Amino acid sequence: MMARALQLTARYYSIPLLLVVWQGAVASGLVESRLLPSLGGVFLALARDTGNGVLPYHTAITLARAALGFALAAVAGVPFAAAMARSALMRNLFEPIFFFGYPVPKIALFPIFTYIFGIGSPSKVAFAFLECLYPIVVTAYLGFRAIPLTLIWTAENMGAPRSTMLTRVIFPAAMPAIFTGLRIALPISIIVIVLTEMIGDSRGLGYYISVSGTRFEFASVYAAILVIGACGFVLDRALLSVRRVVLHWQRDAASTGS
Amino acid sequence: MKISPAVQHWIVPVAVLAAWEGCGRAGVLPHYLPAPSLIAGAIIETAADGELPRAVATSLYRVSVGFVIGTGAGMLAGLGAGLMPGIRHFFDPLVAFLFAVPKIAFLPVFLLLFGLGHESKIAIIAFSCFFPVFISSRHAVLSVNPHLIWSARNMGTPAATMLFRVFVPAAAPELFSGARIGLAHCFVLLFAAELMGLQGGLGALIVDGDNAARFDLMFAGIVTFALLGFLGDRLLMGARRAVLRGQIIGTMEQFVR
Repeated sequence: MMARALQLTARYYSIPLLLVVWQGAVASGLVESRLLPSLGGVFLALARDTGNGVLPYHTAITLARAALGFALAAVAGVPFAAAMARSALMRNLFEPIFFFGYPVPKIALFPIFTYIFGIGSPSKVAFAFLECLYPIVVTAYLGFRAIPLTLIWTAENMGAPRSTMLTRVIFPAAMPAIFTGLRIALPISIIVIVLTEMIGDSRGLGYYISVSGTRFEFASVYAAILVIGACGFVLDRALLSVRRVVLHWQRDAASTGS
Repeated sequence: MKISPAVQHWIVPVAVLAAWEGCGRAGVLPHYLPAPSLIAGAIIETAADGELPRAVATSLYRVSVGFVIGTGAGMLAGLGAGLMPGIRHFFDPLVAFLFAVPKIAFLPVFLLLFGLGHESKIAIIAFSCFFPVFISSRHAVLSVNPHLIWSARNMGTPAATMLFRVFVPAAAPELFSGARIGLAHCFVLLFAAELMGLQGGLGALIVDGDNAARFDLMFAGIVTFALLGFLGDRLLMGARRAVLRGQIIGTMEQFVR
């Protein structure tokens, strides 16, 4: 019991330590309280804006946008990656776009998105789609390419029809890579939505942060950061448990996490 | 008829550009999509009058200083966390929580701390770059082949030599992957910070073009920014190939670029 408590302290001491230093700095007046609100202030802001529904409202909007962009990218990206891996023509046509386009900072295109799709949700969802598409397609594509040929030959030899081939051999074999891509893309979708909401919108957590910032209500900024961190953490865990169910035969690798 | 793969690579980009130019000439594109030739004209025009080089210099300064600070700090902390459990336990919970938070959310705080000029942008770029670099460096050190470590220890290698001749070289490929992800983060943060904090740079150039409805100028900024990010990545990958010359031999990378 005691040893367990000690072990937990040794592993997680930095968060309480940081909070104590924070509180100490505020209480001693070393830092302006305007810049670094007290912990109590942050939790007060969190409780107040959760109670009156402001934070849940903005959080729901941000999450819905991120989820939509992410889901569209997954639905479009995985079959596209499979097609690229299976057809030489598709590969030659699109491989350069994904491999050369990968390091291009796509955020620069966002102003164009706001003109094409308008300033509200559509431009943000479309942009999250684009940003998620790259890691999903590239990772899944490399996964599809890396399927051992012996698996495919064996299945062909036993007379597996094309559809069985896809559902029983190709997709299961590429599934770990697909999940890796999804796991990279999931936080990207949230980051991109918050970022674009900060650039310009009247709803969502990004808007809440930029408005609170300009009003010098930093307790609210930190409260929103806490909410985003919690959402990102919960969604990542959720994806990992979906992965564990889908890849039950790969339990060892899946349970080690990253 | 058989078209060679090298030609097929160019079909989609060339077709898109040609269609874009053709539609632009025919006047069917909306006013906010100037034809590629007009964008090229705007790039040449702003390059000649010094506006574009000035903006590029400002943005490049911010992103390179931020990248160097963020990568340096991330690698130091990551190597430390990989080697020493005490340091690892200090950073792990903090990084686990902050990693999923978009670092741009801290922009209001950084603006108040460091002002509207270079410093706030550099600080937030470095801050954002730190996390992916830290995670890769930490993981890189922890996954160094233990046989290498045991052999070196067995031969009585002193601690400093262990670090520079065993851990860093063995971790180098992953250190570079971390730096690469960090660089991508730097450019995203640079753009967002310049767009919101203004005060010069390519982001401000893009906003100015947008506000003045000079869409050719806006696109000139966008194209330059995208090119800068792409070239930065190429430069880093070039450095990687030069540094890892010996380690690439015998892997797939020797044949596949």
